[in-house]
Amino acid sequence: MRDDEILTGSPMEDSWVTLEQLAAACSVEPAWLQRHIDDGLIPQAESVAGVWCFSSISIVRARRMSQLERDFDAVPELAALVADLLEELDELRARVGSVDPG
Amino acid sequence: MEFKDYYQTLGVSREATADEIKKAYRKLARKYHPDVSREANAEAQMKEVNEANEVLSDPEKRVAYDQLGRGYRPGQEFRPPPNWDAGFEFSGRGRAPGETADFSDFFAEMFGRMGGARGFSGGQRTQFQARGEDHHAKVLLDIEDAFSGATRQISLRAPKNDARGQVTLETRTLNVRVPQGVYAGQIIRLAGQGAPGSGGAQAGDLMLEVQFRPHPRFRAQARDLHLTLPIAPWEAALGAVVQVDLPQGAVNVRIPEGTQSGRQMRVRGKGIPGATPGDLLLDIQVVLPPADTAKAKELYETMARELAFDPRSLGRA
Repeated sequence: MRDDEILTGSPMEDSWVTLEQLAAACSVEPAWLQRHIDDGLIPQAESVAGVWCFSSISIVRARRMSQLERDFDAVPELAALVADLLEELDELRARVGSVDPG
Repeated sequence: MEFKDYYQTLGVSREATADEIKKAYRKLARKYHPDVSREANAEAQMKEVNEANEVLSDPEKRVAYDQLGRGYRPGQEFRPPPNWDAGFEFSGRGRAPGETADFSDFFAEMFGRMGGARGFSGGQRTQFQARGEDHHAKVLLDIEDAFSGATRQISLRAPKNDARGQVTLETRTLNVRVPQGVYAGQIIRLAGQGAPGSGGAQAGDLMLEVQFRPHPRFRAQARDLHLTLPIAPWEAALGAVVQVDLPQGAVNVRIPEGTQSGRQMRVRGKGIPGATPGDLLLDIQVVLPPADTAKAKELYETMARELAFDPRSLGRA
């Protein structure tokens, strides 16, 4: 690749990828990802004819959940609950940030 | 390269059992969890703790580390002997190599070849195919960039085996075009820009998470754009059409008569662009002109005299 070459990125929401690619993006095993999607712990995942479209939020969620399960031996439902709380925390922090940028 | 004392990082003795290491790690993982920790440098501290745990919680890596690090003190200059790992067999379990890309030079030097790793055994390469790991990084943009798109230079570091089989941390710089319409937290995928694959398999992807710098006027929530709009009391009372400057031009907004401070107005489709564009959300703030001249005082006194108005009576039953 040349130094002046400009690469163009695509938002995850516009990318249709295989389950394996999706799992790699989340740094998890494909079986782990499939199991958690089947159990409804990772919403906003859409699949058509074997290819998947995942929201950016779901990728961050999957990464967080797998780290919680690994670091604390958390059962998936508990990791999902913590991920729910962290997502709410993200939203509240974003709102507070607008009131008090400091 | 400085020697790292992983036992000191986790606060355990060299004789610590696997359970003691796990317990110490969990305690520190909670203390420095980047999403909730109030500790200074929590993210950097968590990285250190993760690195120490990656080595000490893996019996293979721990044995290698203990053997090689015998006699070293923390911070002491360290250089592993050539082919030091010839007597070890690493299975490559633990974190995905992409996750260890941020670990120290010390880790990369000792265990980095495990990065391509599954398949290296005692330095002997076996033939197999595996897709390269995805890499993750953050890209910091201004909110204005979401309206126009932006090109940013991204520098990434990743362990790489050189011609002599030594592991070095390679820095590469990419010019990346981020498309219009991105929002905070969104992940931008650059296909094939992650770690190279093994045995002819395809490379991994580079995942860039978008973050916005704090903006003095705007706040973005997904694609919605929030803005505090100051208006004069007569604009609020009588209604007005006011101009609101946005990153790509201005819009005229009608303020209905009788608008109070604190009211939120929504202008559909004027937030961050996209297939479903966000809305512009205006938080109205009525700003009083100062009573710092005789004329201004007279006007306020006339209102006080002639308007039968008690704001404290509003909302009373």
